[in-house]
Amino acid sequence: MLAYTFKRLLAGVVTVWFIATATFIAMHSVPGDPLMNDKAVTAEIRANLEKKYGLDKSGPEQYLIFMSNMLRGDFGISFTQQNRKVNDIIRDHFPVSATLGLLAVFFAAIGGIVWGALTAIYRNRLPDIIIMFLVILGISVPSFVFAALGQLSLVKINQLLGSSVIPVAGWGTFGHMLVPSLVLGLGTMALLTRLMRSSMLEVVNEDYIKTAKAKGLSPIRIFFKHQLRNAILPVLTVLGPQIAAITTGGFVVELVFAIPGLGRYFVQAVQQLDYTVIMGTTVFYGAFLVFMVILVDIIYGFVDPRVRLQ
Amino acid sequence: MTDSILEVTDLSVEFATYGGRVKAVRGVSFDVKAGETLAIVGESGCGKSVTVQSLMGIIPMPPGEITGGVAKLNGKDILGLTSKEANEFRGVKIGMIFQDPMTSLNPTMTIGDQIAETLMVHRGMGKKDAFDRAVELLDKTKISEAAKRAKQYPFEFSGGMLQRAMIAQSLACNPSLLIADEPTTALDVTIQAQILELMSELQRTENMSIILITHDLAVVARMADRVAVMYAGQIVESGTVDEIFYESAHPYTLGLRAAMPSNKTTREKKLTPILGSPPDLFHPPTGCGYFARCPYAMKSCEKMLPPECLLTAESNHQSRCWLQHPDAPEVQELFQPARTQEEAPDAG
Ligand SMILES: Nc1ncnc2c1ncn2[C@@H]1O[C@H](COP(=O)(O)OP(=O)(O)O)[C@@H](O)[C@H]1O
Ligand code: SF4
Ligand SMILES: [Mg+2]
Repeated sequence: MLAYTFKRLLAGVVTVWFIATATFIAMHSVPGDPLMNDKAVTAEIRANLEKKYGLDKSGPEQYLIFMSNMLRGDFGISFTQQNRKVNDIIRDHFPVSATLGLLAVFFAAIGGIVWGALTAIYRNRLPDIIIMFLVILGISVPSFVFAALGQLSLVKINQLLGSSVIPVAGWGTFGHMLVPSLVLGLGTMALLTRLMRSSMLEVVNEDYIKTAKAKGLSPIRIFFKHQLRNAILPVLTVLGPQIAAITTGGFVVELVFAIPGLGRYFVQAVQQLDYTVIMGTTVFYGAFLVFMVILVDIIYGFVDPRVRLQ
Repeated sequence: MTDSILEVTDLSVEFATYGGRVKAVRGVSFDVKAGETLAIVGESGCGKSVTVQSLMGIIPMPPGEITGGVAKLNGKDILGLTSKEANEFRGVKIGMIFQDPMTSLNPTMTIGDQIAETLMVHRGMGKKDAFDRAVELLDKTKISEAAKRAKQYPFEFSGGMLQRAMIAQSLACNPSLLIADEPTTALDVTIQAQILELMSELQRTENMSIILITHDLAVVARMADRVAVMYAGQIVESGTVDEIFYESAHPYTLGLRAAMPSNKTTREKKLTPILGSPPDLFHPPTGCGYFARCPYAMKSCEKMLPPECLLTAESNHQSRCWLQHPDAPEVQELFQPARTQEEAPDAG
């Protein structure tokens, strides 16, 4: 398991390096530059600015500087926000995005497993049919629709109760986090429900379930000790990539609910071609996601001995 | 007659499928006596597994349904019980092992834990005691380094080892009956012999009965005291192993024997396959199930189901064939299995 973890981490580092390089190349092949403002800049000022940001150097030189700074954990200064360090932007806003995202993943995983198990138990009966209908909605409706609907229902609830019990937007308390993270996790929850259902139905027909019955175990024991654990495995394998999907979806939900997450800065930076912010946040997000996927794989190893012991 | 521990009378099982109702088991009766091995033999799909799995209450219901019959274990009914009632005998009085040991154990639980589980559930043992006992059981089934092996997972075992572990698990509560559904079919020949050896040895030391399901007559010859030959959901012939091999009566049993390789198989005595295929169990024949393939078929066989006929007054050798019916004319050459298939009506 230790060797396995180490190998995964090493691969993770390579992946992050790859992401950083790809981002760098992409940034430098996009037409236009951050200094090309609506206001005309004289050649002299332009030269000074380019010097300040190191844009006067050759591509390979810039790449080396970028990489060595990054290794020291320094992503540079924003082009558009006066003298604000990219590190500060990440430090101030990433925890918000991460909390939102992880909470969403948590809801999605728990919800997916519970709903999926329920649909399998009630196969082809009313609860199954209702849940599977909702699942199709969850998969096909984009998250900004749910975000708007979620916000709307919060408004209605507050109106009904006569006071703002649950905040409609903003950030700070658990009340702020609940609905946005549910909304954000909804698509993934639907996907996991469907996966869990088919996985449960597959496991039910496995020979070892027959063995468990022939051993004289109670249906409840068979369900929890033999069926559930094995059915969760395929769900865990897609959880890693789903975390990526949730985090990307987070930008939209952050906008709708006015959540001060990193997403907003990222979108802004792209619009304004703020090189350092784009590269900094991309690499940071990339590293975070790679790390999360590895974490999920390690958790998987604990559930599945075939992975852990090889 | 010694006491029967299991008596099955007229068991019928059907499956409701999209294509209609599969009549998988059609009135099967047999009994198992204390300490004996009953072999149930027949080609694939004839209802062997469904028979024993319905006794254990582990066929999927729906689509499965036990449409008739009685089964008594030590005089107590075991069909149509709730899972709670059935769990008083499953794993306790009857242990069961299956065809494919590779898929018959939970892949995410250690072998020791799986065996211990049976003991914890039925004997109320604590985790530690149950695990220690599991190690002893593994030792009993000749798994070396049992203590270490008990902590391993199924994927770390070979097929033969897994079948040993399955046997250890099924013996945990000292059952009086072991049901082994093709326990060696998925294993290499050498491993097969070892597993069979282990089973007969444990049968003696544990003093239990065995229902051994197989399609391999060599396994029957080696293991069985009595044999039930199944065809198309019915038992067509039953008797002691000697009666079945040396006084085979039913044309299907004769066919099976002619298709079986033996030491005597030489150039002049070729293997003779049984031509045609078993009947459609969606619409099983009203008459004899073997009619379409039987070289001796008569007109009356098609429409009328032959009853189970006792062959001699003193033995319990039965055959479900009109040829052995008391009213049938004497047929001398019947006990000569070398009858060829050329006389068979076209089965197609
Ligand atoms: N779950 C099921 N649903 C429908 N048909 C089944 C099911 N299980 C078994 N059968 C049918 O019952 C018949 C007997 O099967 P089985 O007892 O497994 O044969 P075998 O003698 O090879 O063990 C077969 O025709 C099979 O198609
Ligand atoms: S009853 Fe008739 S068809 Fe059936 S096995 Fe006997 S002879 Fe053949
Ligand atoms: Mg079978």
